[in-house]
Amino acid sequence: MPLQDQIRKGSTEILILKLLAEEPMYGYQISHELQRRSGGYFEMKEGLLYPTLHRMAHDGLLKSEWREAGTARRRKYYAITEKGHRALSEQIKEWHTFIGNLLQVLDVPAGAKTPG
Amino acid sequence: MAAADIEQILTRIRSQMDLDREIEHEVLDEIRSHLEEELAIARAQGLDESATLAAAAGRFGVEEVGAELQDVHAGWGTADAVIAAGLPVVCALVLRWLVFAPDGSALGWPQMLSRPALWVIAASALLLPLLKFGRWRYALVAWVFFWAMTMALALWPVYVW
Repeated sequence: MPLQDQIRKGSTEILILKLLAEEPMYGYQISHELQRRSGGYFEMKEGLLYPTLHRMAHDGLLKSEWREAGTARRRKYYAITEKGHRALSEQIKEWHTFIGNLLQVLDVPAGAKTPG
Repeated sequence: MAAADIEQILTRIRSQMDLDREIEHEVLDEIRSHLEEELAIARAQGLDESATLAAAAGRFGVEEVGAELQDVHAGWGTADAVIAAGLPVVCALVLRWLVFAPDGSALGWPQMLSRPALWVIAASALLLPLLKFGRWRYALVAWVFFWAMTMALALWPVYVW
């Protein structure tokens, strides 16, 4: 798997938690919103999104409910739980530490522009 | 045509799953809802519906998503497996202890049936797996296992001894 895909896959959970910390969303909306906010960088494939959402709900990080959305259509909304909020805070700290240490080892000052 | 395309995608995803009907139905409903959303947007933008669905199927990775969802919903952790297998055995052992009087003689079914503890344990053996796994099927299997163990542990020694 290419490095870029590995990094994206590794950051899937924290990105979902961050979005849902703002408001409950449904699968299509999460995927679309993530793509919009990252200028297309985080294009989360549905094949990764739905199993991740279900796994996170199974782990108690998210809860879900069906809501009516117009005529004859329903959407399954996901919302973050208390456990999810705690996991988000921990993961933000973890990513911060990871990125800081990585840049230190690579001798790249934080905030420096990437080559190319 | 588009509805048939959606059903075809869902059938391919379903072929990778072997879950409780209720879970499977909910999982596929969610994917159907996603595909219909994409389709509605494509229609509004005047895009080709079949091409939109084909692209969506590609992003889902139809076979892979079915297998992944199967893993999520069917995969039990070690703790779950221990509870599923151990709880009926523990309940049956407690019940066996209640069957026998302190001197080791069997109380007999009429006396045992009059004990509230029997009903508490029998109800626990049914309700705890139900609360843990949220599925009647699992709870009933555990309950049948509990009664089978009870029969083996309570009746068999009476006949042997």
